[in-house]
Amino acid sequence: MIKNFNKNTIIYCENLTKVYKNKKQEVRAIDGISFGLKRGEIVGFLGPNGAGKTTTIKCLCRLINPTQGRIFIDGVDVIKKPNFAYEKISAVLEGNRNIYWRMSTKENLEFFASLMGYSPQEVRHRIDELIETFGLKEKIGTEARFLSRGMQQKLAIACALIKDTGILLLDEPTIGLDVETTYEVKDLLKRKIAQKGKTVLLSSHNMRVVEDTCERVIIINNGKIIADEEIKKLKEFFQVNSYRFEIAGRVDDRLKEEFSKKFLGAKLSFDGANTLIDVDLKDSMKIYEVLEIFKAKNLRLSGIQNIEPDFEEIYLKLVKDEK
Amino acid sequence: MRNRHLALFWGIFRKEWIELKRYPFNTISGIITVYFIFLLFFFGYNFLGGNLLSGARTLEAFIVGFFIWTYAIGAYSTLAWGITQEARAGTLEQLYMTPLGYGTVAMYTIIANFFWNLIWVVPILLLMMITTGRFLHFDLITLIPLLILTIACGYGIGFITAGLGLIFKKIQSFFQILQFIFVGFIALPVEKYPLFKFLPFTLGAKLIGKNMIDKTSIFQMNGVDLLILLFVAFFYFGVGLIIFKLCERIAKDKGLLGHY
Repeated sequence: MIKNFNKNTIIYCENLTKVYKNKKQEVRAIDGISFGLKRGEIVGFLGPNGAGKTTTIKCLCRLINPTQGRIFIDGVDVIKKPNFAYEKISAVLEGNRNIYWRMSTKENLEFFASLMGYSPQEVRHRIDELIETFGLKEKIGTEARFLSRGMQQKLAIACALIKDTGILLLDEPTIGLDVETTYEVKDLLKRKIAQKGKTVLLSSHNMRVVEDTCERVIIINNGKIIADEEIKKLKEFFQVNSYRFEIAGRVDDRLKEEFSKKFLGAKLSFDGANTLIDVDLKDSMKIYEVLEIFKAKNLRLSGIQNIEPDFEEIYLKLVKDEK
Repeated sequence: MRNRHLALFWGIFRKEWIELKRYPFNTISGIITVYFIFLLFFFGYNFLGGNLLSGARTLEAFIVGFFIWTYAIGAYSTLAWGITQEARAGTLEQLYMTPLGYGTVAMYTIIANFFWNLIWVVPILLLMMITTGRFLHFDLITLIPLLILTIACGYGIGFITAGLGLIFKKIQSFFQILQFIFVGFIALPVEKYPLFKFLPFTLGAKLIGKNMIDKTSIFQMNGVDLLILLFVAFFYFGVGLIIFKLCERIAKDKGLLGHY
């Protein structure tokens, strides 16, 4: 059963599997994943390269035929009736590669609107609004090939938005962008798209973008979902299990080695007065093992605290643990 | 009432025009290249002792043949090159994501392209007529339907190569070779071997020749020939479409639609 499935679920994906076969081997790009997105939800879709993110998104768009599984977009069976589903879904699939480079900003927007059956007159106001929102006003007549990469990517997102669908799938919308433009795109996602009540599945390697934009994340690795949780809850979960021990003075390197062996991912640092030992303990009873080590080495504990881990660290821990 | 198909057609028609306009060098160099090939054939043949200049009918048939070939390669490359280019540019997947269906997009592209091809086919035809001093008969009521049915084969073959292009990414040289095979189809003697009528372009080229050279209107033409032309057009176009759909399925199975 899909987690949190209810009548408000707008994307429903069940047991989705994609197997690529060749003479020598069989690769399971997606291995029976199931998930759902609620109407108006913005969900991050994370995973290392080759985890199956793009394949999943392309299956949702029926641009790749899944080997097995069912996909429903707002009640429409995508596999059986993709054209009906395209009334409800739009996507930015490959950063700045989804637009026509020889066409201007406005011409691109008009053309993508025509794919939904809208005439230029019908979308005139929406085009003006998008051009204003995306800061493309001065480039309205510029051919896309002469725009900066950031502007091209903003135009690609605008071209998906001109279709005015309820669902937007974004595959790496900030890839290759500088910090400033990434921030701009993040801001657009957060303020403009979220405000319109759109449902967004956002795949990205940029944890800051995901953390700032999404409430929930689905993490996929080796074709399987390894986490599907609200970011807040993930943080709480890891906070409960993440401790910082403070030892007066500097400890020797042997302790560092011992900690690294016994507690995967343990970090030791020195702040000038104390040695800070950050340990992630899945089982809280293990705290006694840590204390045993301190006792055996005769180290004086000056403090213990729960620490809130960085979202990027949580992601890395999940992916590493799964491996 | 909102006409979505009209909006889509207009969008595609404009896009084809914009791309033609933004690639002026391609259009002009295309005209020059084809005209140069024509000159090479024309003067080469005469130099080798042929009678193109003296035999009026042969020369006019040569112009007609060249005109059809120009139109045929224009039609063929729209799909063969066009779809492959869209896949490479990453826009093909977006074209698939229209509620009106990719089939509709392809059909409207063909119609728009049939019209916009005139931009380069007409100057080539005029240049050929001026160079040779032989002016052909233009009866649009006969010419347009014959041309549509003849060129339909070019779109059919274009669909096949585009489909193969989706799966096998490096078949550009095959694309180019095929364009020159068209010359053979156009030049085959159907009078001598009637079975050639079932090949792409062959019968159409002869009937267009009858109209443009002998001024035979469509109403005076042999009904059986017209039926064969109709059958051939539907056959090659249909087979092309079926093979394309098959290749598209393989491409979607293998995840190759947006690969480059």
